[in-house]
Amino acid sequence: MIRPSGKRWPLALATALAVAGCGGAKGESEGKARLRWAFMLPTSWDPVTSRTGADINTVSIAYASLTRLDKDGNVQPALAKSWRYSPDGRTLTFELRDKLTFTDGTALDAGAVKAFFERGKTQKDSFLRPEIESIATFGTDGPLRVVFHLSRPDYQLPYVMAGRVGAIASPSAAAKDKAKLALWPVGAGPFKIVEFVPESHAYFVKNPDYWDAANIHIDRLELTTLSEPTTTIASLVSGAIDVASIGPQRVAEARARNLTVTTAPSLNANDLMINRNKAPFNDPLVAEAVRYAIDRKELVRTLTVGLGTPTNQPFPPHYFAFDPQTKDQWLYDPAKAKALLAQPGHAPGSVNVEIVINPLINEGLPELLQAQLAKVGIKSHLRIVPPGSSSWQSEVYIAKRPAAAVDGTVGRESPVQNLLAVYGPQGIMNLSGPYSPKAFLEAVDKVRATPIDAPEYRERLQRATRLGATQSTSVWLFSTPFIVATRPRVKHLNIVPSQIRWEGVTVE
Amino acid sequence: MIRHVLRYPSARAACLILGVVAVLATAGPALAPHDPLAQDTAALLQGPSAVHWLGTDALGRDVFSRLLAGSTVSVLASLLSVAVGLLLGVVPGLLSVFLGKRFEWINLRLIDALMMLPFLVFAIAMTAMLGNGLVQAMFAVGILITPVFFRVSRAAALSVANAEYIEAARLMGASTASVIRRHVLRKVVPAVAVSAASMTGACLSIVASLTFLGIGVVPPDPTWGGLLATDLANLYDRPFGPIAPALLIVATVWALNALADAMRDTGTDNKEKPA
Repeated sequence: MIRPSGKRWPLALATALAVAGCGGAKGESEGKARLRWAFMLPTSWDPVTSRTGADINTVSIAYASLTRLDKDGNVQPALAKSWRYSPDGRTLTFELRDKLTFTDGTALDAGAVKAFFERGKTQKDSFLRPEIESIATFGTDGPLRVVFHLSRPDYQLPYVMAGRVGAIASPSAAAKDKAKLALWPVGAGPFKIVEFVPESHAYFVKNPDYWDAANIHIDRLELTTLSEPTTTIASLVSGAIDVASIGPQRVAEARARNLTVTTAPSLNANDLMINRNKAPFNDPLVAEAVRYAIDRKELVRTLTVGLGTPTNQPFPPHYFAFDPQTKDQWLYDPAKAKALLAQPGHAPGSVNVEIVINPLINEGLPELLQAQLAKVGIKSHLRIVPPGSSSWQSEVYIAKRPAAAVDGTVGRESPVQNLLAVYGPQGIMNLSGPYSPKAFLEAVDKVRATPIDAPEYRERLQRATRLGATQSTSVWLFSTPFIVATRPRVKHLNIVPSQIRWEGVTVE
Repeated sequence: MIRHVLRYPSARAACLILGVVAVLATAGPALAPHDPLAQDTAALLQGPSAVHWLGTDALGRDVFSRLLAGSTVSVLASLLSVAVGLLLGVVPGLLSVFLGKRFEWINLRLIDALMMLPFLVFAIAMTAMLGNGLVQAMFAVGILITPVFFRVSRAAALSVANAEYIEAARLMGASTASVIRRHVLRKVVPAVAVSAASMTGACLSIVASLTFLGIGVVPPDPTWGGLLATDLANLYDRPFGPIAPALLIVATVWALNALADAMRDTGTDNKEKPA
């Protein structure tokens, strides 16, 4: 190592400072737009093994999907510039854009898309399989046409392809090392990964070969893990991060500290997941009593500062899949809850429930629910699943051990996909899985077989929601909008109903 | 020894504080003016008033009552950790001097290994394995402070192990257990007592840190650390919120450290009066 002599220290220091100063000035003059975003890292960077709905927010940094949603939730072209169903609804053909490439330099053509979905069907640890079970086989018709041969008509697929399911990963990268793909995404999305430290951060640079690169105005995107909610605002104010989701209780503080707060319609909904396979909920009357014991208005007033909306379904009331017929079902009625408990002979205080909670989300909600249940004579104690997303995944979503758990959904691109996630036999948020009401599954099949522009589509969809909500045991509580706080230098935030996207976003 | 310790003004102040903390720990829940778990969603995040001396939290619970009610768990958790550390540290520490080279080598390596484990990560891992409860978390903390008691007791025992009166006792046929009990223990206890006081303060901070992270104590049970976390979350609405739990933690830790210092000073020079 070369060291400056004692006499040269001041000179060396001055030179170092000058170089550092020049470095900064150079960086600014080059106009590199850097954006730092605090969010949860995905459960896997491989769309095939990614497990939760919220992952699409981060997976979509590195991957482009076949389609994408606009701000109104309508499906739009993306990697696929068009698609069409055969008259019998059993074949769906996507026409890809020309000259698409993955960030590893390999071609993203019909063969690559086919190979990706075949991996989703066959890979042992795939979480894609239930999402594409209506597709029997995959084929190609030339280099730019992918053909899905369906086992039954499924008109939801263009929506499904707008999310994690349609986020195409490089088959070459998967063939080389599948395990590495979970840690190092290789897609054709707006950004290319350059650094990843698990549980800490992932850094990306703009991918000039992204099909919509002209709309990406960020040169470097730095994704860091979600900071402690109490420090999020301070991190934004200090400039440590530029963008972060915040809870409703922090909106006033964010505004007072000159941050920009954007609220946008979301598909978020919170619930108390109930496991009908575990006592005391194997008694349907107890599960029904819980529904009447919950005062949703109090939850909204206390926890969302009025920004939320009560809901008794896995959708917010503004969404077209929300069933208006059951809107007023299970309104707060503690007397009815007590009467229901009394029917099978449960004395007040004799029903005891363990509620599993995640300390990092749903601040205050478990304690409020506990107090509301106590008012009708249901005793409960809370059990924290230790911090770490994998613990919650394995304990709640996969093993389905708890009798009750406080959770929520961020929604899915397709309403049917969301219904199956919360009520379906393999739904990660169906704590009673693999149980799923038969009538609900039949109704879902009908929705899938109905073109989305058919006049009966909405009615059929709402009926499926109704059957899911009435025949399963989970208790839906309230919905909240996307609330995103940004530094003033970030403009034109792009929020679609199921995710935050970066097309059109600018950084001054 | 108590008389000598109390010659120090800092020790007298420390005893006064610890006396108050002992009262809070034993009678805190009974002294609470309100039910510490009772929510009032019509009175969220209120400031101090005649009804709620320290205001209310985000669920409308009386903060003063929660502070009092949380004293028992906070103090008992620290004492439990120190008890585990004492049990697992002092006994092997003494025996490592008297039970031969092999026993000594194994114990020293185990202690070296324990010293390398990071506190919070180990406690989080233990609760992940054994379940998220106070006993599990404090047991983990107790294991991690074992090296302190092991080394202190071993050092004290080594200083007398080769003393003539110990050799004489052995020559007269005294067993190892008898030698330790009658001759070594009385030399070890003062040093261990100093460490115990100091470690109780450290454990109180660790308990506060763990409960701040939601480990060990499950909501809605109040603890000092848990209250601090809640108050920090609502800093914008209640900027004064963290002061009371923070002061209580700081004062207790200071008192324990001051007492430990006084005990140490008394032990090193119990003939000299303090300045």
